[in-house]
Amino acid sequence: MPEEPYNPSPIGNPSILARKNWWQTKLVIFIGKHTPKCREMVRILSKSLDEPMPWSMRIKKRIHYLICCWCQRYEEQLLYMRKTARKFAEHADESSAIPVSEEQKERWKQAVRGER
Amino acid sequence: MGGSKSHGAGSRSGHNFSMSNVDIQAAAERWVEEHSECLFRFALIRVRKPEVAEDLVQETFLAAVRGYEKFGGRSSERSWLCGILKNKVVDYFRKLGHETSFTDMEFLSDEFSDKFVSVGFWNHDKGPKEWKPDADEVMHRGEFWQTMRDCLSKLPQKVRDVFTMREMDDVPSKEICTILSISDSNLWVMLHRARMALRECLELNWFDVSAGGNK
Repeated sequence: MPEEPYNPSPIGNPSILARKNWWQTKLVIFIGKHTPKCREMVRILSKSLDEPMPWSMRIKKRIHYLICCWCQRYEEQLLYMRKTARKFAEHADESSAIPVSEEQKERWKQAVRGER
Repeated sequence: MGGSKSHGAGSRSGHNFSMSNVDIQAAAERWVEEHSECLFRFALIRVRKPEVAEDLVQETFLAAVRGYEKFGGRSSERSWLCGILKNKVVDYFRKLGHETSFTDMEFLSDEFSDKFVSVGFWNHDKGPKEWKPDADEVMHRGEFWQTMRDCLSKLPQKVRDVFTMREMDDVPSKEICTILSISDSNLWVMLHRARMALRECLELNWFDVSAGGNK
């Protein structure tokens, strides 16, 4: 399979630097070469939810976002999912369809009666 | 045991911490009536198997009966019971971690390669789309939680367990590694894949649909 062209932040994409002119193109290519590729960036972003990201990487991340709105969205969405997951348990009533039967409650009561 | 404790807070919910066995059993039966639904949901959402959730809730009640003297009324009964259940769930995961190899090679080897071009940038047609700005509001909708539940259920069990502990219960990474006897790097790979898969699933099944005006 032929190698796909090196093409970060193509013309017309919604990132801040979108190769609207010669200078932007040079800058985009420079940033693309000196910050992690998106495939690596998403791993780094995921890991940053579990341990602090070094300062140098935070700066690279910010610079990378200039040419890549997708990675920036990815990070925002990871944070959104974390916030949502923490709320998920509270909203269990709304998504749980399995009620506790009276028979089950009786089994639990019998178990505690026999405990002491 | 500290059965003769006389706490000032002991009157909360009518507790007397030097109760007889008969009184404790009566109290335990009341816990079943008042808290079992909540505890069952708490367990089920984490372990997903109703029979396992039932066992864990039962173990919780039994442990609560045995350890009632230690409950000083510092929290509500429900928080106390939830705390016991949370430990039971962690024990369950710990046991699972030892019983299984804890990998799902097919899922973990999937690098979502179609998402990226070969040089490593996003495939621009398949990169993350913008989610609706009112994303916070959807948390109040039952359908959203059903979508979330469906998306979580698509993850392989072990990966889902890791995700549940880390993201839902905020268990520290190191502790998860210890509980499940896995390495840091194994944990990060599982979490990364889980987050990527869940993000994709929510986008396809909620945010894209919402953007289409169907929700």
